[in-house]
Amino acid sequence: MPEVPDGRHTWRVAPSVLLVEDDDRVRRALRLALEDEGFTVDEAADGEQGLRQLAARPDVVLLDVMLPDTDGFDVCRSIRRNSDVPVIMVTARTGSQDIVAGLEAGADDYVTKPLVAKELSARIRALLRRVASTGDNGHPPRTITVGELVIEPEEGLVSRAGEPVPLTRTEFRLLAELAAAEGRVRTREQLLDTVWGYGYFGDNRLVDVHIARLRAKVEPDPAHPTHVITARGMGYRLAL
Amino acid sequence: MSQGGRARGGLWRRLRIGLRDRVIVLFGVLGLALFVALALTVWLLVSHFLVNQRMTTVVDEARVNAASVQSGLGQLGLSVPEVMDRLATNGTTFALLSTDGEWYASAPRQGPGSLPHALVHLARSGVPATQRVRVGDHLMAAVAIPLDRAGDAYFELFPLDDLNRALSILSLTLVGAAVAVSLIAMATGRVVTRLALRPLAALTDVAAAVARGDLSARMPGEKDPDLGGLARSFNHTADALERRVAADIRFAGDVSHELRTPLTTMLNSIELVQHRRDELPPAVREPVDLLTEDLRRFSRLVVDLIDISRYEAGVDADRDTLRIVDLVRAAADATAGRPVTVVDPAAKDLVVHADKRRLERVVANLVENAELHGGGCLRVCVDAGKASVLIGVEDAGPGVPPEQRERIFERFARTGPRRVGGVGLGLAIVASHVAWHGGRIWVEDREGGGSRFLVRLPAEEVTG
Repeated sequence: MPEVPDGRHTWRVAPSVLLVEDDDRVRRALRLALEDEGFTVDEAADGEQGLRQLAARPDVVLLDVMLPDTDGFDVCRSIRRNSDVPVIMVTARTGSQDIVAGLEAGADDYVTKPLVAKELSARIRALLRRVASTGDNGHPPRTITVGELVIEPEEGLVSRAGEPVPLTRTEFRLLAELAAAEGRVRTREQLLDTVWGYGYFGDNRLVDVHIARLRAKVEPDPAHPTHVITARGMGYRLAL
Repeated sequence: MSQGGRARGGLWRRLRIGLRDRVIVLFGVLGLALFVALALTVWLLVSHFLVNQRMTTVVDEARVNAASVQSGLGQLGLSVPEVMDRLATNGTTFALLSTDGEWYASAPRQGPGSLPHALVHLARSGVPATQRVRVGDHLMAAVAIPLDRAGDAYFELFPLDDLNRALSILSLTLVGAAVAVSLIAMATGRVVTRLALRPLAALTDVAAAVARGDLSARMPGEKDPDLGGLARSFNHTADALERRVAADIRFAGDVSHELRTPLTTMLNSIELVQHRRDELPPAVREPVDLLTEDLRRFSRLVVDLIDISRYEAGVDADRDTLRIVDLVRAAADATAGRPVTVVDPAAKDLVVHADKRRLERVVANLVENAELHGGGCLRVCVDAGKASVLIGVEDAGPGVPPEQRERIFERFARTGPRRVGGVGLGLAIVASHVAWHGGRIWVEDREGGGSRFLVRLPAEEVTG
């Protein structure tokens, strides 16, 4: 279990959390704990309700994948189709298939039950963080061009041959981190730390699946990547 | 009957004679006994026959000679020397004649003293008889034939040396053969046992494999008419055991799984209460603290149980090539909350092919153990070994007594009043992970007090 930093975070503006969880008591306990951490919490007891409450534009969605009426992964995909809100999967299963399936369905991160609000708080904090304001060499990040890709970290935009590419915040931050490395290799541990805030004890699958998602969106041929390159045994880099 | 059987078995065991040796000895003894019986029969029959044959021959010969003497003395009225000359004797036999109270011999060397008294007496009384006598170095057959005139008798001595020699040769041959037969029997016994025990050796290997923990090992030869029964029973038992173990693991996993949800509720609620501890009436603060502590511990146990059941089932194993120094340093320092890792320069470039999550867990668990139960982790060393890396976690705690050094790695090890191993699964999980990687873990005393937990993992040097 990753070491959770001590001390409670005080938000300038209380972020809103949409909690989609079918178990009544868990939902109530989580809501109270999250509010104690300084979040405002909206509740949904099933997938349908959850999708409806997206309209309120929460800052982050906590999605239990074991839902009574629908497949949690389907709900995640539905959320993704309409918005790029950060989604944290809440899962009881940590089998590779389930984790990867959830990440491929669009989740940004996952937590396993039994989960405590403090840990959730750290995860949410990491996801809501703004992109790093300085690049690797200490200068503010400038627009980076890689082939037909134009990455503007300041704006949080990526366009390809003039057309904007819809990336989730996590996917964008991943790309921006690689871009800021200016062609050097970033290890999985480094990416887990800067993008997801995990320090050392992160799950490599988070990085690997997100890289695959990124490639699917920005590579001309995702099966043979030319922009986001794997450095075998080390990590990933952006081919400038 | 059983008492005797047990005593016999005890004797064999005490003498440390194994099955194979027993069979060999038995074969040898049986072979010898059989042959001895056979040889004795042969000996008796042959010697009896040969002796009979010889005696019949010599008696006939003596009778012929006696008749010749009789006719010579009677009808022909020859003198004794002439009669004796007429005898058809070769140099090996001796004839003696007793007539008119006088003794006459065919050869000057032999006198009536060679003849046994009883034989002489019998012949003089008119009873023909034979007797074996020893004359000098030779064994001879003495034949006594009474003559017509009362008191007269004809005696002849026949050599039995050649017969004797023949029988000696026969007996020696039989004895030699007996020895040879028993040796051959023992050799046969040895070959037989080896053939018979060879499938047994295969079965022993399978049983050993299961004992080691490989529950998938099965015995071959279920169709074999003799060993099939054993193989079938064993395989049946192994099947049941494998199923049972899998079911146990699944059950532990399922139970823990079900506990996750209520635990979420409990943990979050109690953490919230803990956050507001100051608002609680003083009387309830301690019960709340106890509840918090045990809930956290319980949660850890449930998570560990889920993990251990998953890991035992072998799911979710990824192998990456990792620089072990980086992994250990990051995991140890993060767990301890301060730098504790000391790296030997020789180990700098070592890599392992390992599951990152599991290895992290190993290091984190050991450091946590040192912190909580060892009075604080003193340091974590990474040293290079022969094709391996040696990771040592040292603490200045009470140490682990020698008799407990194996048991603490078992699940829920409870050693004396002080619980070693956290909630009881921490070290078991560590041991399981280390074994999965083909490594070894053990604990020893640290010079200066406390313990050193050592993990050896296969590693290799990679340059560049």
